[in-house]
Amino acid sequence: MNTKSNKKILLILIILSVLLIIVFIVDLFLGSVTIPFKEVLKILISGKSENQIWSAIIYDFRLPKAITAVLAGAALSVSGLQMQTIFRNPLAGPYVLGISSGASLGVAILVLGFSSYLTNQSVHYFGNWAQVIAAWIGAGLVLFLILAVSMRVQDIMTILILGILFGSATSAIVSIFQYFSHQSMLKAFVIWSMGSLGNLSKSQLNILMPCIIAGLCLSLLFSRILNVLLLGETYARSLGVNIKFSRVMLFISTSILAGSITAFCGPIGFIGIAVPHIVKIITKSADHYYLIPGSILAGAIILLLSDIISLLPGSDSILPVNSVTALLGIPVVIWIIIKNKKIASLS
Amino acid sequence: MNSSENILSIENLIIGYGSAGSKGKPVFSDIKLKAKKGENIAVIGRNGIGKSTLLRTISRLQKPLKGNIRIKDKDISHYTKQEFARIVSFVSTEIIRISNFRLIDLVALGRFPYTGWIGKPGRDDYDIINESISQVGIDDLKYKLVNEVSDGERQRAMIARALAQDTEIIILDEPTAFLDMPSKYEIIRLLNELTVNRNKTIIFSSHDLNITLQEADKIWLMEADEIVEGAPEDMILNRNIYNLFDNSNMSFNIESGDFRLNRNITGKIMLNGKGIAEYWTRRALERLGFEISDETGQELFVQVDDNKKPTEWILMKKGNKIKTNSIYNLTLHLRDII
Repeated sequence: MNTKSNKKILLILIILSVLLIIVFIVDLFLGSVTIPFKEVLKILISGKSENQIWSAIIYDFRLPKAITAVLAGAALSVSGLQMQTIFRNPLAGPYVLGISSGASLGVAILVLGFSSYLTNQSVHYFGNWAQVIAAWIGAGLVLFLILAVSMRVQDIMTILILGILFGSATSAIVSIFQYFSHQSMLKAFVIWSMGSLGNLSKSQLNILMPCIIAGLCLSLLFSRILNVLLLGETYARSLGVNIKFSRVMLFISTSILAGSITAFCGPIGFIGIAVPHIVKIITKSADHYYLIPGSILAGAIILLLSDIISLLPGSDSILPVNSVTALLGIPVVIWIIIKNKKIASLS
Repeated sequence: MNSSENILSIENLIIGYGSAGSKGKPVFSDIKLKAKKGENIAVIGRNGIGKSTLLRTISRLQKPLKGNIRIKDKDISHYTKQEFARIVSFVSTEIIRISNFRLIDLVALGRFPYTGWIGKPGRDDYDIINESISQVGIDDLKYKLVNEVSDGERQRAMIARALAQDTEIIILDEPTAFLDMPSKYEIIRLLNELTVNRNKTIIFSSHDLNITLQEADKIWLMEADEIVEGAPEDMILNRNIYNLFDNSNMSFNIESGDFRLNRNITGKIMLNGKGIAEYWTRRALERLGFEISDETGQELFVQVDDNKKPTEWILMKKGNKIKTNSIYNLTLHLRDII
């Protein structure tokens, strides 16, 4: 084995880890309330500060948000990587199975469909748990459909097309709900669909974190099978891979990752498609042993960066994170395509 | 090598698509075939007759509609996935394009049935991987990327991957498709070497009849409703090969073992000369549609004079004598007559 290139990749992973820590701290430091950098570090290390409000801001708001950004960036990048490998398609992403559309449908039915039954108090009482659960159910139903299909259908391209069709069908239903719903509820839905990292309470983070860790572990367990799947399913089968089982497990992993993030943060675009390509280019590797950790680190870094930009340092307004990820990412993808001139072989 | 040992035996096999039973669509029925250890077997037949389906069924990539396939005296459906992957490997004609993927990484995937899910190939595995790479002659390319090498080199790497899988049987579906002539010969020659040096049993399909008839130990000839087994020479002597060209314009030359398009005869010509110059002049005249006649008194007569340097061709045409210095110029003069 050419150990030289492996050492180089390990070095890249170490650099990414250091970058992640830096960006994470910068993200904690920034916000509409200015807290001195020293105080941020002090609060993080000792857990205390002279200023109770500062430590409350850090612990109750900025830290959960930064952790959410890390989890979401990692989850979306890894699920995008898995989908690109399974479908052998460089344009596949975490939402290609229709998971975000399913989640949107769940939220749309809740927010738009039942809005007349919801009083202000009940919304307040449930918090955004109702939204999260609705999104989960929607994503889960789409996953169930996809699994049912993939048990019967051999050809992976058929599954890809069906996933896109499910997605379009659910989006169409969502549009109908939007058309008939009340303006204020419509705005609530649109805001959900723009994505947000800052809405999670600590108790929700306690649910999201184990979900994402489980999904990532499942993905890491399948890194060798993902390598074999690069050759396509015929070769994978002839090498003794249980295709149906692997496919189901990887779909479940993707749904846990992308579904949970969509449920808690809304659909966050671009990260899942672009980050795996960035990682493939900087590591110059196709080995999922390295690509998965690389995607976890790079995805977390890029979503933290997006969050930093969305705070518009120096101003009081906040941009929707979805717009930032798109504006930040699309130039990167275009640059990759033009520089490589072979997006077709990037899968 | 025990020459009587059948490593593979197929009986009453029906191959096709769909589920077993009455619902399936059979492609080929009543297949009965045998393969011995160390044999290099070529599957030939027309497009769409079911060569790929047969190879895929033997490789367990699709289920038979009916019948038995036994490998080492055990029905193939009784092997676990991992056991089977250690006995039969498969190489398809599909061109693999993966970025950032070196040939050595590609070959290393062949060790999957031995390292399992989570394990990484170790030093022993890399010994086998490097040996496989040497065997197919791509040592100096092993750190090149899959997208940087030629189709022939990539196909060699795919065969090395099958070797790394260390199976007794290697099945290849049209391994020489898309390759240029020298690469086709090299790949088939390589397969032959593997049967001799490594005692592998190789079953491959091909449309390159010239090469397969020269290199294969045995032919499985898929005709309209049966598969005929035998040495390539048997196929020629028993005239089975002719059946491949029943409805086409091709004919098979039983003496030279090669194929020609049937042509309409446009005239007779007499040829005089000797050696290779005469042979290739004859080929050119036949290509133009002339029947070479030994009878004297033809209107047309060609004399090949290879005593002269360079060789000279003399065409007697209705009493006129035309001298040319190449076959091409000779054909230009003859074209006027046709």
